[in-house]
Parts: sequence; C-alpha cells; structure tokens
Amino acid sequence: MIEVKNLEKSFRGNQVLRGITETIHKGEKVAIIGPSGSGKSTFLRCLNLLEVPTAGQIFIDGEEITAKNCNVDLIRRKVGMVFQHFNLFPHLTVRQNITLAPVELKLMSQQQADEKASELLERIGLLDKADTYPNRLSGGQKQRIAIVRALAMNPEVMLFDEPTSALDPEMVGEVLDLIREVAQEGMTMVIVTHEMGFARQVANRVLFIDEGVVMEQNEPQQFFENPQNERLKSFLSKVL
Amino acid sequence: MEKAWNDLYMALLYNGRWKIYLEGTGITIAISALACILGIAIGVVVALVKVTAEKKTGLWKVASLLCEMYTTIIRGTPVIVQLLILYTLFFTGGFPACVVGFGINSGAYVSEIIRSGISSIDPGQTEAGRSLGLSQAKTMRLIVLPQAVKNILPALFNEFIALVKETAVAGYIAVRDLTKVSDSLRLRTYNSWPLFIAAAIYLILVVVMTRIQKQMERRLARSDRS
Repeated sequence: MIEVKNLEKSFRGNQVLRGITETIHKGEKVAIIGPSGSGKSTFLRCLNLLEVPTAGQIFIDGEEITAKNCNVDLIRRKVGMVFQHFNLFPHLTVRQNITLAPVELKLMSQQQADEKASELLERIGLLDKADTYPNRLSGGQKQRIAIVRALAMNPEVMLFDEPTSALDPEMVGEVLDLIREVAQEGMTMVIVTHEMGFARQVANRVLFIDEGVVMEQNEPQQFFENPQNERLKSFLSKVL
Repeated sequence: MEKAWNDLYMALLYNGRWKIYLEGTGITIAISALACILGIAIGVVVALVKVTAEKKTGLWKVASLLCEMYTTIIRGTPVIVQLLILYTLFFTGGFPACVVGFGINSGAYVSEIIRSGISSIDPGQTEAGRSLGLSQAKTMRLIVLPQAVKNILPALFNEFIALVKETAVAGYIAVRDLTKVSDSLRLRTYNSWPLFIAAAIYLILVVVMTRIQKQMERRLARSDRS
C-alpha cells in the first residue's frame, strides 16, 4: 500500500529524516511514537507530500508519488489527513467543511455530498451541528468533524498527526473512540501519537522514531513489554 | 452676517455655479473608482505572484523580483511626480493619465495589503485544503482568500479613502476635478467658500465609503458570531 525507500528530509541543512525504509500494508494500523523533534510528524507529512522529501522514494499503490511528473492532487484524494490543530475551515459551516472537496473535485454532486455528510454526522452524533460554524464547537467535536471531513473523500489511507495533542483531557476519549471505530472497519492507518495505551490497543505495529531513523519496531505487546533499544527503553520509562 | 450669506450665494448658487461642483465631483469620483478597480486588479495579481513565488523557483522568482521592484519604485516616489511623468511622456489627456497613474500607484499599496492578509491565514488552512486533494489555486480561492478578505477589508478601505483624497492633485495635470474647479471658482468669488464646499463634499464621500465598509464587515462577520 505505502512503500518508503531511504526517505530523507532536511530543513535548511538540518537533517530531520536520515533514511527511513518502511512498508505499510493494506489494512495495517501503524502507530508512530518518539520524542518531540524526532522526525515522526515530518515522516507522516512526507507521506502525502505536505513536506517534499530531500531524497528517497515513496510509492502509494505502486505509484511513485515522489516522481517529478506525479499528480500530487490525485494521490492526496486517496490519502486522508487529520491534523493536531483540526484545521477546519472557519468560514464554512460544518456541512460545507465536509462537502467542499468532494463537490469541488466533482467526485459527488452537492446533493450526494450533503447526504454523505448527514450520514457521517449522524454516525458521530453531531447531525444537529451541521449548519453551525466551527467556532461554536468544542475541541473534541472539531476533531471528530475533521476526521469525518477526511472520510468523506473515501480515502484508502488515513494519516493522523497527533490527533489528540491539542485537546482538553476530557475530550480525548471521544476522538480516540472514533479513530478506533474507523480502524475496526479495516482502514489503513498511520498514527503519530503520544497516547501509548491507545497505540498499544489499536495498532498492529508500533514504530519508534528517534533522530530521524526507525530505531525499533514490533507488534505492540512485544514493543511495550520487551523493548530492545536503549533509547526506546529510556523513552518508555519516561512516558509510561 | 449678511455678507457671509452673500458670499455663500455667490460661491454656490450664482449663475448655476453648483453645477460646476457637481461636475468636479463627478470627475473625482470617476478617477477614484476607475483607479480603484485598476488598483485591485494589479494588487491581486502582484500579491498572488509574490505569495506563489515563495515556494517556487525559476520564472516565478523573476516575476516576483519584478513585482518587488514595482512596489519599491511606486511606494518610494511621490504620486504627483509619477503623474507628471505619465502625462508628459505617455498621455495626451490628463484624465486617462490620472486613472492609470493612480491605479498603478494604488496597486502597489493594495498588493502589500493583500499579501499580508494572505500570510495572516494559518498555513494549516492551506495544508488542510491541499491534503483533501484541492489544487493550489482552488485552495487559495475557496479557503484562503475568503478568510483573508476579512483581514484585508479595513486596510483596503483606508487605502481607497486615501486615494479619493489624493486625487486632489489631479489639477496639476490639467484635470478639472473637485479641487481644481473649486479653486478656480475661488478666483471668481474672491472668498474662500468654494474651498469649504469642496472640503464638505470630500467629507461626504469619505463618510459614505466608511458606511459601506462597516456594512461589508458586518456581513463578513457572520461566521464569528458565537
């Protein structure tokens, strides 16, 4: 599904990713953990080219998205993204936030998109908020709508960039529940997170990224109970 | 007291002189409105070139450099000198010289206003748009610009209010705008009433523009209400 080969990324001479090679299979849920500044968000943002890699290749469904002639906009339709700070469009209502892209890209008619939006909002219990503006919503509601906005594009992969880090503690649960639900439906997911319990519960595989490389990876139980790498051990001892 | 009324009568009503003010006002409004349209057109293009070039290379950088030169030169020289140059070198009539001159001049300021309005929008908005598969142009048009307009509007109206008043120098290149006709009348009435009348008309124009601004801001504030 996603194949990453020798991915490197530098910002003005500061090398953040130092060669990551990784394959993510269809239906897999991969959690990425690591200290801040380790490059884990940069890695995620490279997967839909919000950051352009300095070197290396990325393939999605066998298509090289790092190739010069690749139409990035077409690739991004297949790759949904959820941000730490939600990034809902404040000048549009909740429903318009969800329907904007599918309608503008002519994937659905306005009516189809509206129906899809209602269905998705119904599912997360926020149908009554369809015609309000984002500034009236709580953080948890905003993030759930951001997730639904990405789902409305029927993506094949979902990328989550610390989806609960900007939330008040009492709202973390509702967002994680929704992500868990989406996971159970078989969506391929890559999640950068600080929620270790959640990573352990939802992921099939956990990656530890530090200093721009994948230092260790394993299935969750082994990863958390039997870490090998010294840095991972010290990291886990601080966060668990 | 009676003399004051008599002077005012001479300045405003005698011989249908009020029509002269109206004609002058018409010219002032025409120059301002046309220059404003030209200014917005130039300003939007220049701002978009500058913003787009930030992430591109090659020809975009060259275009951006040209735009930078344009804003530097226009903002660095007096508008009256720019008008005189246009008038003596390129135009035979004062009116078209004024429209083009003030338009080009205003465009430089408008471009900076729009550029800073665009960069005031959280980059996360662009990222969200792009991550949904929208092109850069669509993201700009549907997501960034509608939000930027709210930040741009007050500064933009300031610019156009300044523009209306700046057109008062149009008389320098033989355009009979409000200031010019009023000053000519002063030489016939031998009192300063025509200048006060001109001042009052400018004031009314500016007050009307401010009203329009307030109304537009109210309409745009819809999504802020909580």
